[in-house]
Amino acid sequence: MKENCLDIGIVQAFMDGELPHDQIAGVSDHLAGCDSCAFMLSEAEDQSSLVFSALDREFNSLVPTQRLWNKINHSIDIERESRPFWQKAQAFLASAFASPSMIGAAGLLIAVGAFSLVLLNRAPLSSDIAALPTQSATTGVASSDQKVDVEPSSESAVARNPVGDMVIELKPTFEQAAYRPKAVSKGPAVERSAPAIAYAYMEGEESYVRTISSLARTVEEQKDAVLRPSERVAYERDMALVNDTIAKMRQEVKRNPRNDSAKQVLYSSYQNKIDLLNSVSQKEELVASLSK
Amino acid sequence: MNKFIEITFRWLTIAIIALTASLAMPAQGVRPTDKTHRTSPAPKPKNEPEPPSMPRIPRGEVSERSIKVDPGVNVWIPCVSRGSVKINGWNRNEVRVFVDGGNKFNYTVQEKSPQSGDPVWVKVSGVQPKGRFGPVSECIWGDDIEIDVPANASVNLKGQETTIRVDSVRKAEIKVVGGNISLRNVANGIGAYSGQGDITVEASRGSISLESTTGNILVFEAGPSEIADWFKAKTNGGTISLQGLTHRQVEVNSISGSVNFSGTIRTGGSYNLRTSRGSIRMAIPIAVSSKISATYGYGTFKSEIPIDIATENTSPGPIKTIVGTFGKGGDAIIRLASNNGSIAITKML
Repeated sequence: MKENCLDIGIVQAFMDGELPHDQIAGVSDHLAGCDSCAFMLSEAEDQSSLVFSALDREFNSLVPTQRLWNKINHSIDIERESRPFWQKAQAFLASAFASPSMIGAAGLLIAVGAFSLVLLNRAPLSSDIAALPTQSATTGVASSDQKVDVEPSSESAVARNPVGDMVIELKPTFEQAAYRPKAVSKGPAVERSAPAIAYAYMEGEESYVRTISSLARTVEEQKDAVLRPSERVAYERDMALVNDTIAKMRQEVKRNPRNDSAKQVLYSSYQNKIDLLNSVSQKEELVASLSK
Repeated sequence: MNKFIEITFRWLTIAIIALTASLAMPAQGVRPTDKTHRTSPAPKPKNEPEPPSMPRIPRGEVSERSIKVDPGVNVWIPCVSRGSVKINGWNRNEVRVFVDGGNKFNYTVQEKSPQSGDPVWVKVSGVQPKGRFGPVSECIWGDDIEIDVPANASVNLKGQETTIRVDSVRKAEIKVVGGNISLRNVANGIGAYSGQGDITVEASRGSISLESTTGNILVFEAGPSEIADWFKAKTNGGTISLQGLTHRQVEVNSISGSVNFSGTIRTGGSYNLRTSRGSIRMAIPIAVSSKISATYGYGTFKSEIPIDIATENTSPGPIKTIVGTFGKGGDAIIRLASNNGSIAITKML
């Protein structure tokens, strides 16, 4: 028997494989040369085998339990991932507002946000947007001799001026004050509201424009299907010609509102445009009636 | 034993197939392998025309049918899909339709005269061939379609790509998607529309309305049958030429074509000739009496007949106007307008 025999704890740790690598070799050498320590190891092994055989049923029953836990955890993970967003959010909020301090903090945050929003919106509304209708109305009641150089748009709203027969077209120009550039807000109000004025229609002109607008929408969808390429070229050529005449005559009427000849040519050009648009619809109707 | 039967059956099958193939070969034009026939093929006649390479349109049948009708019958042909159509008035109280190389057709009596019991409204439509499936079409088609109607009949026809010729009927209403329309000796009114084609009217009376999208409109010797009959002609891109027109109400409009008028100016008449980009030429008698208003833009105005000018605005600009009178004035009115063309009034020879 060697001196300095091993402690029973070290022997037990050796048997269980819990010793560090650097000690395992020394313990093995010692056990090979020391009978008492070897005997102690064999006793420990016997005891261990006895205990394990007695607890074998208990130990084996733990394995499926651990597997079961693993399965349960895996299933929970899958279910958590497949849950909809609102359920997650609900769960988060429920857990977050469980404490009264969190509820108080959230309420304070909402109150501060609402207050700052009101403060931001109040100042620009009074200075910028409120000025627009006033300026439009002021320009709208101008005399019929006033020059307006904006093309008419049939799709925008049209308002009739109570003063005289002049008709003013007002485009809705609502903008968020927060997005308005500073340069525009600093400029004179007349410049800003100029695009809102459209065109002073002559008597009866408005109905032409509206008719043309509604017809054009229909024809735009039909003309590719109805007109052959050569007809399409002729159509576009004639349309360009009519539009050119309308533009020239409108300019002439604006220059000299008393020029009845220009007015007549303008009206006949509008009629030409309607006839031109109608010719496409007429052909489409004929083709449709023949293919019944 | 079974194997013997199987082998026999196989050989029998092969023999039958070989026999069938040998019988079928002469029918397919395969020459027998006789060396005496393997000479060079006979030369083709030099004048024989080469067959067209285009796929041949299936040739239709020849059909002819007639029906007894009222003299003032209205003949309605809802659809002609292709072919050349000739409608002719004759002195019989029957409608006869002859289709060469086309489909069969049917008469449908829409209405009968309560007095005579004869049809006063007849529809002529195509018949769907037996055994053919698909959408039912009323269209008639053929290489030549001849329709004879009573001289007092009115004709109503719609067509696709067709050439229409109408002669000696009371009234005609023709609409085609494409193709020329020619009408003559129509007694009491014309309505003609062609999507892409010329319209020619000759020696006809009554209210006349002619419209073409891209074609020309030519009228010779037309006039009213009643005092209030009017004449209207409209084309987007064609020329309008009116010779010997005697209507009192004349409305002519071309967008990018020229307008030519040659005829008398009748008392109380109203003559409106307009074009956006084209010239207006008007030949009228030198002894005319009427008011005149000419509006022109970038062109010129010339008149061989003296005008007593009332107002004149010829200052530079997009609009120039001349208002005045020919002769003693009278109550006829001539309005001429060309935005980008010239206006010329000449003496009618």
